[in-house]
Amino acid sequence: MALMEYMHAKRLLDRYAIHSIPSKYVFDAEDAVAFAGGKSIAMKLISGKALHKSKAGLVKLNLNSKEDIERAYADLRERGRSIKQYKIIAQKMAEPGVESIIGGNTDAQFGKMLLIGLGGIYVETFGDTQLRLCPITKNDAIDMINNLRSKDILTSGGKSLDMLAGLLMKTSRLLVGNPKIRELDLNPVILRDSSYDVVDIRVLL
Amino acid sequence: MKIDLNPMLKPKSVAIVGASRNPDKVGNVILKNYIDAGYSGKLYPINPNADSVLGLKAYKSVLDVEGRIDVAVIAVPAEIVPKVLTECGKAKVKSAVVVSGGFAEVGEIALQEEIVRIARKYHMPMLGPNCLGVMDTRSRTDTLFLPTYKISRPQVGYVSFMSQSGAVGSTVLDVIAGEGFGLSKFISYGNAADLDEVDLLKYLMNDSETKVIVMYIEGIKRGKEFVELARKVTKKKPVIVLKAGRTSAGSIAAHSHTAALAGDYAVQEAIFKQFGFSVAEDLSELVYFAKIFASETEPRGNRIAVVTNGGGAGVLTADAIASSRHMKLAQFSARTRRLLGSKMPKLVNIANPLDLAGDAGDKRYEDAITAISEDENTDMIAIIVLFQTPGADSTVSAGIVHLKETVDKPIVVMSTGVGYTQAQKVQLESGGVPVYDSPASLVSSLEALLEYADFLKRQA
Repeated sequence: MALMEYMHAKRLLDRYAIHSIPSKYVFDAEDAVAFAGGKSIAMKLISGKALHKSKAGLVKLNLNSKEDIERAYADLRERGRSIKQYKIIAQKMAEPGVESIIGGNTDAQFGKMLLIGLGGIYVETFGDTQLRLCPITKNDAIDMINNLRSKDILTSGGKSLDMLAGLLMKTSRLLVGNPKIRELDLNPVILRDSSYDVVDIRVLL
Repeated sequence: MKIDLNPMLKPKSVAIVGASRNPDKVGNVILKNYIDAGYSGKLYPINPNADSVLGLKAYKSVLDVEGRIDVAVIAVPAEIVPKVLTECGKAKVKSAVVVSGGFAEVGEIALQEEIVRIARKYHMPMLGPNCLGVMDTRSRTDTLFLPTYKISRPQVGYVSFMSQSGAVGSTVLDVIAGEGFGLSKFISYGNAADLDEVDLLKYLMNDSETKVIVMYIEGIKRGKEFVELARKVTKKKPVIVLKAGRTSAGSIAAHSHTAALAGDYAVQEAIFKQFGFSVAEDLSELVYFAKIFASETEPRGNRIAVVTNGGGAGVLTADAIASSRHMKLAQFSARTRRLLGSKMPKLVNIANPLDLAGDAGDKRYEDAITAISEDENTDMIAIIVLFQTPGADSTVSAGIVHLKETVDKPIVVMSTGVGYTQAQKVQLESGGVPVYDSPASLVSSLEALLEYADFLKRQA
């Protein structure tokens, strides 16, 4: 399986009106400083080989100053030496919220499956997930959310139920409309009261 | 192609191939069961080495039988099955049940493929191989090779059960025989070489003698067709499913979190739930759910009133309700509380659970249930009867059966015990009142009923 280019994947999400955090490939520290424009950013090393970035120390968060950014860039480049092909991406920091995962998979028997769960990288620990066959209806989307033990946390006590249901339906449309996508992880998706950011995207073809 | 399974389940004539004179042989047991069950159609024992079996004229081959044969039940060694099936095809037998084992389940895949080719060549729907076959309580068809003294046969009802596993199937069948709701059809389909879960589910969906479908499955072969059918079937009748293989999921290294979380079992469970199937956790729950659906009541909401003659059992049931996903204890209206206050003796505290006390007899139960049945805040009524108490006897059971006729809310009974309690259970269940032996089984069954009702509402 091949990993889709990050910015390519981001544009794909844009086409389905799925909002992901502003991102840019950076090729040196100055690039990253310019992208930050005085605000806090994150940087990630992206490679088809490094699958769990945060576990491998390949994600640098809350980089506020020019010095922070330079140090993080140097460290990521150093780590990248052992991985032949890699890119470094800079992203705006998301406003705080609840981490969730929205994903897709292709079942050999049934086709495209859609998943939502609490917890971002801790999703396996919590085990609070719901799965449906695509395409999903609005009823299915609401049912998925209502069947999560963490539904009140993820929807800010129900206030952002419609937003989240809409996001699930858009993701279902994306999966059905792009049969070549084998697996999809939007992880984490930061959910807040009436807004969200997809912070990391992995599309496997 | 539309597959007609009526010749298999409602046969006017049955050939039993391998009908031995030896009572220890499968073919002999099958023939004897047909005779014992009072099957009224024609029976043709097929045995090349005997003139008669169990008093019936035997034939050397199905080709020697002059009349038409609706179903051939085949219980001969695996290597002879292709020859027998070919003869069945030539004799224009309408359907075949291959009881014999020794095919794909032991690695004989080519042999299995061969018999599928033969069955399809002659347009002869084939069940099995490696299965128990079928039972139909109305037509008194019974191909099970299990002697009747070892496994009880259920009474006539409207629940049909399809099972990939013969052993699980016969165990559940034995349990169902001890329940009041009865059975319409049982289909054990074994290796599913020709007829598979899609064909059988479709047949049961359209079968007017089936109001509740129960299935035990290990795998689904035709995913897309199954989904198309799943979309339709639950709009017509409830389907309860127990899927094996929870622990075998996800052995392949996954590339993403989502793939790791979407193993085979998780996917199939998700699809069952998405299309309104009631997913049972184990064999007991399979029967518990069948029982509540067979009672054909429709809940309007999730609020349960608990009436009990034992304080502790009431508290345990309230606990089970509180720890469930969707169910709630009802809050009686002021009117209901006043009504109960005027009808109940002083020692009864007007609350939910309503503890009628250990000396409660039929009158107190009836007054309490009647008052609660009109309560606008109550959707279902759970009645606990501990028959070990001095006041509770068969008049209480009779009263509950009588009330079930007039009350349009689901009524279920929780009653734990053996001996006398079992006798009361039979009385209640033959009156259409489901009886559970634990608060947990009662609450999970009511919840399954509610989830299905909600599913139907969402589809509307």
